[in-house]
Amino acid sequence: MPRRKLIKERVPTPERPPEERIKDFKEVNLGYTFELAVREAERCLQCPYEYAPCIKGCPVHINIPGFISKLVEYRNDPDKAVKEALNVIWACNSLPATTGRVCPQEDQCEMNCVMGKVGDKINIGKLERFVADYAREKGIDEELLFEIIPKIEKKGQKVAIIGAGPAGLTAAGELAKLGYDVTIYEALHEPGGVLMYGIPEFRLPKEIVHKEIEKLRKLGVRILTDHVVGKTVTIEELLQEYDAVFIGSGAGTPRLVNAPGINLNGIYTANEFLTRVNLMKAYLFPEYDTPVYVGKKVIVIGAGNTAMDAARSARRFGAEVTIAYRRGEEDVSAREEEVEHAKEEGIKFVYFVNPVEFIGDENGKVKAVKFEKMRPLEERDARGKRKIVGTGEYITLEADTVIIAIGKHPNRLIINTPGLKVERGKIVVDENMMTSIPGVFAGGDAIRGEATVILAMGDGRKAAKAIHEYLTKKRQEKANA
Amino acid sequence: MPYKILDKKELAMNEVMYKIHAPHVAKKVQPGQFVIVRAFPNGERIPLTPVTWDREEGWITLITFVRGKTTMRMANELKPGDEILNVAGPLGNPAPMEKFGRVLAIGLITGIVEVFPIARAWQEIGNDVTTLHVTPNPMIILKEDFENAVSRHIVEGFDLQPGWGMNEIAQELVKRATAKVRELLENEHFDMVLTVGPAGAQKAIFNVVKEFGIPMHADLHPIMVDATGMCGACRVTVGGEVKFACIDGPGFDAYKVDWDELIHRTGFYAPLERLALEHYLKQLQAQGGEQ
Repeated sequence: MPRRKLIKERVPTPERPPEERIKDFKEVNLGYTFELAVREAERCLQCPYEYAPCIKGCPVHINIPGFISKLVEYRNDPDKAVKEALNVIWACNSLPATTGRVCPQEDQCEMNCVMGKVGDKINIGKLERFVADYAREKGIDEELLFEIIPKIEKKGQKVAIIGAGPAGLTAAGELAKLGYDVTIYEALHEPGGVLMYGIPEFRLPKEIVHKEIEKLRKLGVRILTDHVVGKTVTIEELLQEYDAVFIGSGAGTPRLVNAPGINLNGIYTANEFLTRVNLMKAYLFPEYDTPVYVGKKVIVIGAGNTAMDAARSARRFGAEVTIAYRRGEEDVSAREEEVEHAKEEGIKFVYFVNPVEFIGDENGKVKAVKFEKMRPLEERDARGKRKIVGTGEYITLEADTVIIAIGKHPNRLIINTPGLKVERGKIVVDENMMTSIPGVFAGGDAIRGEATVILAMGDGRKAAKAIHEYLTKKRQEKANA
Repeated sequence: MPYKILDKKELAMNEVMYKIHAPHVAKKVQPGQFVIVRAFPNGERIPLTPVTWDREEGWITLITFVRGKTTMRMANELKPGDEILNVAGPLGNPAPMEKFGRVLAIGLITGIVEVFPIARAWQEIGNDVTTLHVTPNPMIILKEDFENAVSRHIVEGFDLQPGWGMNEIAQELVKRATAKVRELLENEHFDMVLTVGPAGAQKAIFNVVKEFGIPMHADLHPIMVDATGMCGACRVTVGGEVKFACIDGPGFDAYKVDWDELIHRTGFYAPLERLALEHYLKQLQAQGGEQ
């Protein structure tokens, strides 16, 4: 490998200024141009494939130095560079425009990047995003797709996928590429799961999700929307029609604060608030028919990514927004970039407060939240976070809108399937991602509880491999019989 | 996934019936269950109840009360042969299918459409079902269908007075419904009461039924968005616990429901609903009116 000069500082990506971006739902980060992407790509030390810690950190094990090197190698031919890079990414990840935007890279691929020892880590996420965006804008992804499609050898076996979120879409893409006849059953009117209803436009434009899903349709994946598995059709019925089933139904049931007044008007779960805003485009009301009520003072309870998304969305309606968290600043679980963006956009943070009562007015509308002040202990819980205890002191904050973002459970409609082993609300799978029902596999938040988009995609990919093995055995048994 | 409108009829004033090709719902739906419909690309998701269905032919009928932007836009813009963008379901739990004995099933205004499949099924499994429809006279629907399906069908209609708005209609509805229910319960024996309709009127009926100590099953109509249990917009307090009407209901034991909370929650969007309707009416005006 040629010796090259170390460039310690990361090439920045342009961002829209806070005062401008809080007035709309357009994307905050504008991404790299080809020139900037090549400059960032040149910083990569090109660790060998077997060793590269970034690849190990990526849940779907994208050959990161591999795709980055293409940008440098073909720097004089941007289209060629992007096509080659996309080809490397697609081997492991069908939704790079999405993951490049929403993955917590600092905890995954970028976490162990060697460059971090001498300077800034390589901006892997933004490079992945650049490749996907440029390819989409130039139609390079289509070109590549049409080269892949004729090479697919049909297997003649059918797989049903429950849920069109990141896990289901990934499994579907992998299985379609392997030649299986794939049908996704989706309860909502749009595929995408949390990518459509949860993550706001200013982080992940819905147009991009649409286009990434369109690619899967071109690979032959059939998507049945409006089908609620457990109601429209049961898993037992799917097993009669399909050779295997994958459950990627996510963790869509919101957890509620167990405190008096939770059903007052103006108190939303983050899921309801974000679904209205993102999926139903309530921010364009009355051009869009779905309303949403956002008051002048909004309190968001929780400090995960969902809380940041809800807070920043509410801010875009012109509200004064406060995030109230029962632990401290160091315990916040949201991505650093999102917390930074939230602060830049003027969102306030209050730490060590736990809601104990929602106070309403005479019309049943919330007007304040009473919190108990908490304090941290030295002792840590299973996730390594400091335990907290109440102090017996209270504080009341005014609010005319409250958004609860304290987590989610897997959907009850699915986990009530007879014969499906479930522990603490999560579907139990073996090392091959198979559930207690033979031929039924599961992954993503349905088995993990609330996790990340990329972990769900990693599960989808792993399950697709396991399903492939399972169905290959089935084919062989049939041939031998 | 678009679903074709096979037929559309105005059954009465502001009562529109749509017959829709939706085989996935028709195959599975049980009395008490509902669907979520999204009719337009920029539209909202609204809950509606399949009234009749044919499992083999794959259709369901829905009857809407034209009361806001979405239902008015559907009534104005959709024609037979057009497609509805989304029909998701069946959703919710089926109504309990038991032999209660003598049943009084009450539908308030368009609530009667939800009563129909349940009352008919209850009659079929051996209950003696009396249905009661309380509604303004110009909105009487399904009269013959009920007469053919249950032991006895009573229509308690009332005339609309000039200048009445929704409030006056609601007051008259409550007055008529409670008086008629009281009369029936005083003179006859019933083992079970079912109600479907606006939360305020259901509560008023419950207060009468409670005096007689008769079990009562109420189908609730909170605001819904996804209706698959993922958002909690439809949460209600039942027996002191928070329940999601879309997956735990929509039917509940009326004795356990926190009626006042339900009434508050159902009205939360009224100002924005009015705004949406006004916006639509202005659009219509700009296009040269309804014709």
